[in-house]
Amino acid sequence: MTRKKLSEGVAAVAESVAVETVHTEDLKASLEEIKGYDGVIGYILRNSTSAAIELKDPSKLIEYAILSSSSLDAGEELSELFNLGDVKHIIINGKNIKVLSMTFSENKISVFIEKHGDLEKVLEKLQSFRG
Amino acid sequence: MLDKEVYSTALKDALDEMRNACPDIQNAFIFTETGEIIAGDADISEKVMIRVIDAFDGVMERAEALGGIESVTIEGDRGTVTLSRFGENYLITAASEKADMKYVGTLTRVLIPTVLKVLEKLSPTPTKKAIISPKPAAEVEIEPLEVKEEPLEEIEEGARMEKPIEESKPEPDSTKSTSEALTVEPKATQLMVENLGGLRARGFLFPSDTVRIDSEILSEWENVFGGKPVEFVDIETFDGKVLRCKVKPIKDLKYNSKGVVQMSEKMQLALEIKKGELVRVKPVFE
Repeated sequence: MTRKKLSEGVAAVAESVAVETVHTEDLKASLEEIKGYDGVIGYILRNSTSAAIELKDPSKLIEYAILSSSSLDAGEELSELFNLGDVKHIIINGKNIKVLSMTFSENKISVFIEKHGDLEKVLEKLQSFRG
Repeated sequence: MLDKEVYSTALKDALDEMRNACPDIQNAFIFTETGEIIAGDADISEKVMIRVIDAFDGVMERAEALGGIESVTIEGDRGTVTLSRFGENYLITAASEKADMKYVGTLTRVLIPTVLKVLEKLSPTPTKKAIISPKPAAEVEIEPLEVKEEPLEEIEEGARMEKPIEESKPEPDSTKSTSEALTVEPKATQLMVENLGGLRARGFLFPSDTVRIDSEILSEWENVFGGKPVEFVDIETFDGKVLRCKVKPIKDLKYNSKGVVQMSEKMQLALEIKKGELVRVKPVFE
């Protein structure tokens, strides 16, 4: 009986990991599609085990990576301070570039878009992952 | 001229009116780019405002990569927090999930800049303290500006090591500025070296070519120079080593008004000094 329960538990964990992997792969596929949108200059997708970075200008990689991390940290901190609940998204409007950051379970993403780019279209596409 | 208190009161009234017009705005406050809180609503504590500014600090520090920041919106299940930039001032609004964010946006974009413009017209340097100079300009100590030479390779861009002051030559044109304010140089301030803590010290969240000093000292310097922001300072050791670096106000309350200058360990190494030692810090206007 105990062995059966253990076996069921392992199967559940394995399934959960598989779902998570599929989720990450789906996200990555969507981000690849988003990368082709007009004005999108790249994205960062990271979780506890991996990171995918696609930027048209790799020289900005470190700056963008820190900005992405800072914006998600700020979101968590401010959510706690103002009781915002789960953070749906963070939008940074820069003078030249906009950044959309979101968290999907353990996946954290940031999409970098030029000023003229359609952020709403990107947001709409990504929100489908909220289910 | 309006003093800081009147300016702050006018903005506080504007924030209260904004909340009256839209009760879904739960909190609102305004701070400057140096991190100084100008006005906040009655329902938000200074401690929370400081934590909010600190939370945005990392984003604002890195926003240069985006060409500078215009606004930041954090949308949660139960509300939205927005940071909006109006010139040198930043407005934070926290609204409930019921709030019509388009209306909130329109309200803030119309009301706050209008009030700021009116205050600017009434006072040219409203966010700064009024300049109180008991001495006429001629009696104020005037020192020639040092020539900046020999960039130090080990230090990141923006920070430069200079020759000791004794070897420096006066810069021929910089002292002949048409602006009267620029002919007056504030005296250097003696401060104690303090480490930048945590991630900041390792340059992850804070550039290692930047030091932090008390916002009050920065304000005083800015007042002497007619409101011109202080972006660079010269750090001078008692051995005569001088390092030019960027400057930001101290955010950590426990170090405020303690007469310290926070700098990275890398910078301390370059200056051959360590925590607890005294240095002279002088503003640079380029």
